[in-house]
Amino acid sequence: MNMRETAWRVSAAELNASTLEIRATEEKMPSYVVTPLGAKVNRVLISGVLTEIDNIGTDEEPMWRGKIVDLSGSFYINVGRFQTDAVAEMTTLKEPCFVAAVGRVRTYTGDNGRMYVSVRPEHIVEVDEKTRNEWLLETAKSTWGRLNDMKKALSDPSMKVDGLVKAGVNPAQAEGIVYALENSEELPDSMKYLGVIQGALKHLLPDRSIDLGIPEEISDEPDEIEMDGPAGGSNGADIEDTILNLIRELDVDGRGAPREELERRAETEGISGLELEEVSNILMDKGLIYEPNLRYLKLID
Amino acid sequence: MELTELTPIKEEIKGVLGDKIDDETLEAELKRYLNDYGVGIEQTKRGIIRKYGGADMTMVVTGSSVSKKIGELTGSEQNVDIVAKVLYAETKEITVRGLAKQIISGILGDETSTTQFTIWEPGSITLEKGSIYNFKNCYTKVWNEKVQINLGNRGRVELAHGVEMDVAERVIQTNPTECKISELKEGQGNVSVTGRIISMEARNVVARGRETTVYSGVLADDTGKVQFSAWNDLGLKEGETISIKGAYVRGWRGIPQLNLGDRCEVSRVDAVFDVVESGSSRKTVAEIVKVGGGLDMTVEGLVVDIKAGSGLIKRCPQCNRSILNGICTAHGQVTGINDLRLKIVIDDGTGAIGAIVKRQDTEKLTGITLNAAEGLAMAQGEGVVAREMATRILMKRITATGNVMSDDYGPSMIVNTTSHVETDVLKEANALLDELEAAL
Repeated sequence: MNMRETAWRVSAAELNASTLEIRATEEKMPSYVVTPLGAKVNRVLISGVLTEIDNIGTDEEPMWRGKIVDLSGSFYINVGRFQTDAVAEMTTLKEPCFVAAVGRVRTYTGDNGRMYVSVRPEHIVEVDEKTRNEWLLETAKSTWGRLNDMKKALSDPSMKVDGLVKAGVNPAQAEGIVYALENSEELPDSMKYLGVIQGALKHLLPDRSIDLGIPEEISDEPDEIEMDGPAGGSNGADIEDTILNLIRELDVDGRGAPREELERRAETEGISGLELEEVSNILMDKGLIYEPNLRYLKLID
Repeated sequence: MELTELTPIKEEIKGVLGDKIDDETLEAELKRYLNDYGVGIEQTKRGIIRKYGGADMTMVVTGSSVSKKIGELTGSEQNVDIVAKVLYAETKEITVRGLAKQIISGILGDETSTTQFTIWEPGSITLEKGSIYNFKNCYTKVWNEKVQINLGNRGRVELAHGVEMDVAERVIQTNPTECKISELKEGQGNVSVTGRIISMEARNVVARGRETTVYSGVLADDTGKVQFSAWNDLGLKEGETISIKGAYVRGWRGIPQLNLGDRCEVSRVDAVFDVVESGSSRKTVAEIVKVGGGLDMTVEGLVVDIKAGSGLIKRCPQCNRSILNGICTAHGQVTGINDLRLKIVIDDGTGAIGAIVKRQDTEKLTGITLNAAEGLAMAQGEGVVAREMATRILMKRITATGNVMSDDYGPSMIVNTTSHVETDVLKEANALLDELEAAL
């Protein structure tokens, strides 16, 4: 099945706290970020205030970066020319404004080894405050649902994916929970996510005095994340250079480097086909190479 | 075919012919039969053996056969003997490469299990329901995760004299599974459903070469609607509430259809019965994915994508199909008729579903009429219409009701009605707060 991935409703706090990843091991298999509450996320639906936009590309070939702030933290977004719809949509946005975006998640590894998550919107549109509030509500409900599902899993550790699904948990969620529990060093901090829900409810219900006895969340997020590095790889810059050199070398007739030849050569350099695919996507996003057609890659001079 | 794949076949032929043929000749013959003349493997084996003087055709059997119980079958047996009782058998006519051909298929059972079987070359074989036979030289395959028994041209069927057999318990299942209509899933057998007939018709169709009448309609309960069909006149009438026992569920592209077969019991129920209103059969996308599809389902979610083929399109005046660049795939160059359509993705957080929205609802959702779209296209180009529509519906919350089908790319809905949804944020936030306070 090539089913479209669900757009998970997760808060910035939950998405950014993710430390786990299920990386694609074969072609066409999607990669996932697994949040501490076991959301198995390939695509997200996010909303908040777009507070920063930065074009780090050129006017002709923009590469947008931005920050969307929800009540719990910030989503970091980047939009390259391959997100054709989102690129066009970005030009119509003027910060600050309420936006909603749907897109895939990407991960980066910082110098300290910590994993950072960014969102690459497929669509990003300006919305009114009501739509943003609906998102806050939906995300709060969804977070509460995950907390409860997590509790089910913790109450009976023998219950694996099948057991959880039988107990009424959505299959993708059940897989995420089991993966999170088996691979995390510590249990999720439920107070933190109750705090996210409390924060949303306080905002949505200003007239009710809400005190669930949960401390306000103190953000441990970075002000900025380094999104230049390749996804996941620590020696990413080296791989990029190697591939750029190979493309230069293999482009003998000006038509570009034939992909098959490139793959073979990359292989001998110890770069797998998947890595090559990934890094060449990054290089394309950076505007360093392009595809004159499907069978070739070429440097942009 | 590569020579390496031929090794087992070579071994087999040599097993029969011994030194009547040398390797070189055998390889050359195999190549002639298989590659030059495209003869099937079984026919090739027979042909070569006959040509070089092999005597007994029944020796052409991969290894010696083993006997197995149905419950022991793995689905990869090449040559297996099975002693089993015929629970059901019928002769069918199928068409193979344009030629009509008779086969026998049905259900076999023994103490361990039951399964479907097919005799592809029945010849003069007749099977009696309830009798026990020895099915020799069968091969097995897996279909729909179930093992099936097949008898090809070397299969034989003998009456098993003096064998007694109690067929596995779950076979003669007297208690059908009670199901709500929304739970029905393609491939289920022996289900019980209670519902009201909301439409009913008798149609004459040609099935297996004969004209027969099929009685079909739509059945509804408080969870959903399903199409049903019966091949016998059960005297069913619109408006009746009926209880069906022992029906089975087939599917068409994920839409479950209830079949009232021969073994099915139907009784009328007097009780007043609540039936879903159109649009009230609310489902999450995850629930829809689980059952595959169905009639008249409603989802609510956000529009997260708008696909190519949306906006102002042209349709062929003859067949109404959408056309590209003035060319209809069926009718060639035509003057297209303008129409509006949306192909969108709705995501409710549990899953994503494709939806195709017709003109009327496209106008309603986007506020852009066909006239306005034509004006916009004239002034700014046709692509502008879809872009303008996108800005008006992306990230908007809608409900959509229609029939849902599934394929490899997941579920998709042909939308009958749709509308924007107003969420009562205050009410729902209060409800969530109450729930939290009660739980903490």
